[in-house]
Amino acid sequence: MKTNLKLSNISKIYPGCIANDNVSLEFESGKIYALLGENGAGKSTLVKILSGVVLPDKGEIFLNNKFLKLNSPIDAKKNKIGMVFQHFNLFETLSVFENLIIDSNESRESIRKKINLIMEKYNFSIDLEIPVLNLSAGEKQKVEIIRCLIRNPDVLIMDEPTSVLTEQETIELFSSLKQFSSEGILIIYITHKLKEVMSLCDEVAVMRKGQLVSVSKIADEKIETLANKMVGQNLKTIKKISKEKSSEQLIKISNLNFRSEDPFETNLENINFEVNRGECLGIAGISGNGQSELFQILSGEIISENNSIKLNNSPIGNLNPQQRREFLMAFSPEDRMAQAAIPQMKIFENVALNNFKSSNFFNKGLINERKIKEHTKKILSDFSVNTNNVELKSQFLSGGNLQKLIIGRELITSPDLLICFNPTWGLDVGAINYIHQTLIKINEQKKSVILISTDTDELLKLSDKICVIYKGKLSKIMNTEDVTAEKLGLLMGGGEID
Amino acid sequence: MEGKLIKIVKRDDISKSVFFLTPILAIILTLISGGLIFYLLGFKPLEALKFFFIVPINNVYGFSELLLKATPLCLIAIGLSFCFKSNNWNIGAEGQLTFGGIVSGGVALLFYNQEGFYILPLVVLAGAVGGMIYAMIPAILKTHFNTNEILVSLMLVYVSKLLLDYLVVGPWSNPEGFNFPETRQFSNSARMPILFEGLRIHAGIFIALATVIISWFVFYKTYLGFQMKVSGFSLKTAKYAGYKGKTMILLVFMISGACAGLAGVGEITGPIGQLHREISPDYGFTAIIVAFLGRLNPIGIIFASLVVALTYLGAETAQIFMQIPKYTGQVFQGMILFFLLASDYLLFFKIKFLGIKKNEL
Repeated sequence: MKTNLKLSNISKIYPGCIANDNVSLEFESGKIYALLGENGAGKSTLVKILSGVVLPDKGEIFLNNKFLKLNSPIDAKKNKIGMVFQHFNLFETLSVFENLIIDSNESRESIRKKINLIMEKYNFSIDLEIPVLNLSAGEKQKVEIIRCLIRNPDVLIMDEPTSVLTEQETIELFSSLKQFSSEGILIIYITHKLKEVMSLCDEVAVMRKGQLVSVSKIADEKIETLANKMVGQNLKTIKKISKEKSSEQLIKISNLNFRSEDPFETNLENINFEVNRGECLGIAGISGNGQSELFQILSGEIISENNSIKLNNSPIGNLNPQQRREFLMAFSPEDRMAQAAIPQMKIFENVALNNFKSSNFFNKGLINERKIKEHTKKILSDFSVNTNNVELKSQFLSGGNLQKLIIGRELITSPDLLICFNPTWGLDVGAINYIHQTLIKINEQKKSVILISTDTDELLKLSDKICVIYKGKLSKIMNTEDVTAEKLGLLMGGGEID
Repeated sequence: MEGKLIKIVKRDDISKSVFFLTPILAIILTLISGGLIFYLLGFKPLEALKFFFIVPINNVYGFSELLLKATPLCLIAIGLSFCFKSNNWNIGAEGQLTFGGIVSGGVALLFYNQEGFYILPLVVLAGAVGGMIYAMIPAILKTHFNTNEILVSLMLVYVSKLLLDYLVVGPWSNPEGFNFPETRQFSNSARMPILFEGLRIHAGIFIALATVIISWFVFYKTYLGFQMKVSGFSLKTAKYAGYKGKTMILLVFMISGACAGLAGVGEITGPIGQLHREISPDYGFTAIIVAFLGRLNPIGIIFASLVVALTYLGAETAQIFMQIPKYTGQVFQGMILFFLLASDYLLFFKIKFLGIKKNEL
């Protein structure tokens, strides 16, 4: 019997963002479906609704034409919907077998039999007795898949499964998925990687900003057309007025490499770029492709080879963030609440985090509270933060005001280079505009910006030059005028241009 | 599917007064439960509590004993607050106290037959350095080999206690001491000056008070204190601001070890006057309770040390007058910590009851 899964008019609204806007989709077993989209397109919300993690505000789900009510992940399991998340839900110190029986009430022996049958059938070889922490990422994923297969699922949902896999593991995964599909399991594959969609799937649904853009057969699509749909065609919006270019080089990154021991971090490979004075370099990419690592290396939280980063021709690769500030660099990290500021501390204390010698915040080891407060008042008024109470705890600022405070803190010292990472993430339109204007103003003052962002609109609006980071590698650097949505989408999805 | 769902959510803001009131709530709950325990054991609860908490300090001698016991607790807790505020879990203050005691005792024994104004400062310094060095072991192992400081510092307690045991039985034992496990008496120049004739309270209390003032200053007025505060809230932010995390870890351990070492000095050069097996009735462990009861705040710690010191005295009085085992004191200390942690939970989280109706999406 064929499995039919139907979503009808699904909507989910979060405060300040519409994650799913009236999405209707129909899936049938025997095919592999791709759900394609950028960060924040609404894919993850949709699959969370399908797996019972999130309840929709509106809309209905039908399984084999029967109305399906998913109040919790348990309901999804009961209805034979299996889900493999991007980040594994395994107990690292328990053995593989213990992990597999943990949510089941069948007898150990019958489960062991089932597991062995599954492993034989799909050619998996995993030692059931070793602890999960000794497994590679690919093996862990197989454990997650086995956990779904034990329940004979009718539907299997895979959320960005290849993000932690090697090339070889990806090939293995694809052949397993094709085998599952041929056995009648309906497969929904969530990704932003265009090549994978082309080589694995039969049909593709593209989402953008919460809406369903198109549903089509892979046979009718090309990698370029998909890229266009994913990034959106009406991207040629306001661009910065280009001015005469300065040729004075400010920062130069050469042969920068980074190897991480953490499998969820991305290695960086041979990064090279330079930024001139008064210029904004945009670095695009789907999140998780090495942006966070690159930011930390540029800010000095991760130390690199000394000569790999040169500012005004002086090597600064092994300086820490505080020392780099003395070279007139400033940093605005992605995570406002956990990194850029401490919510439990007062506003003026948070301002003191950006401290360098000439600011005189700390004099002979003592806190110069008067000086810090004066400076803070100036930031609050210059950057129109909606309070003038420097003693207020930062947690009471809205996201937009906190971000203004952070950008203000970094900029009021008039640095030569500001490095920011997703500076407008989660902000409302007014705050976004303010931050954008500020960043443009910096460039007009002959100061430079490196803008790492997952928001392509923002990058096209603010950058003079753009490149894309994909799997820790940087694409060639293009002038923003020459960039099209198609090119950007292709590069972000791992394709190649020219 | 009708039913109530209980959800525990973090509170957005914690009011300052509640923050300092919960320790008092914990003490009240401890008193109530303590009374209940006495009742179950067949004592009159109110009378027992009176012997425990009022009789010990209703005269000058009793009160001076309270200060005497509060001194080491306060000193150690102040030191520990540096560690705990920056999320370093030094559990081994008892070991640092013991080792500080050994080193300073060794110096005092060098001068056992000499007098001189320079002896006491040398002894005090030796104790502080001894505690500091002993605390650096878990710190360096943590920063360089990623060991867990809780385990290392705790295990080092037993190492130092066994070392003390060996010394007082073996090489340092008093040649004229009939093989008792103790050293010679220190000379008078190596003893803390007694403040009042006939009472045991000694100049060590000034060291404790000075430490309170200095640490308040460091916490709230210096760049160092600011860096510790930031590191304690978020290591990610500290890294982003460019603070040296490893130096910070080493430093807080050194401060806390030095304080514990000083507490050891106060004991052996104060009331004890020599080294023997039992130089501390677990002050180093009890001080952990003091630090948290005092909210890691220097002033709070002063009050907390007095309260907890009272449980030591009360246990002794109760043993003498009512034949209640003196380990009841530890029961009270345990209850204080237990109730404090429990009320803290409600301080930082609130319980929400969510009603779920059948047809709700």
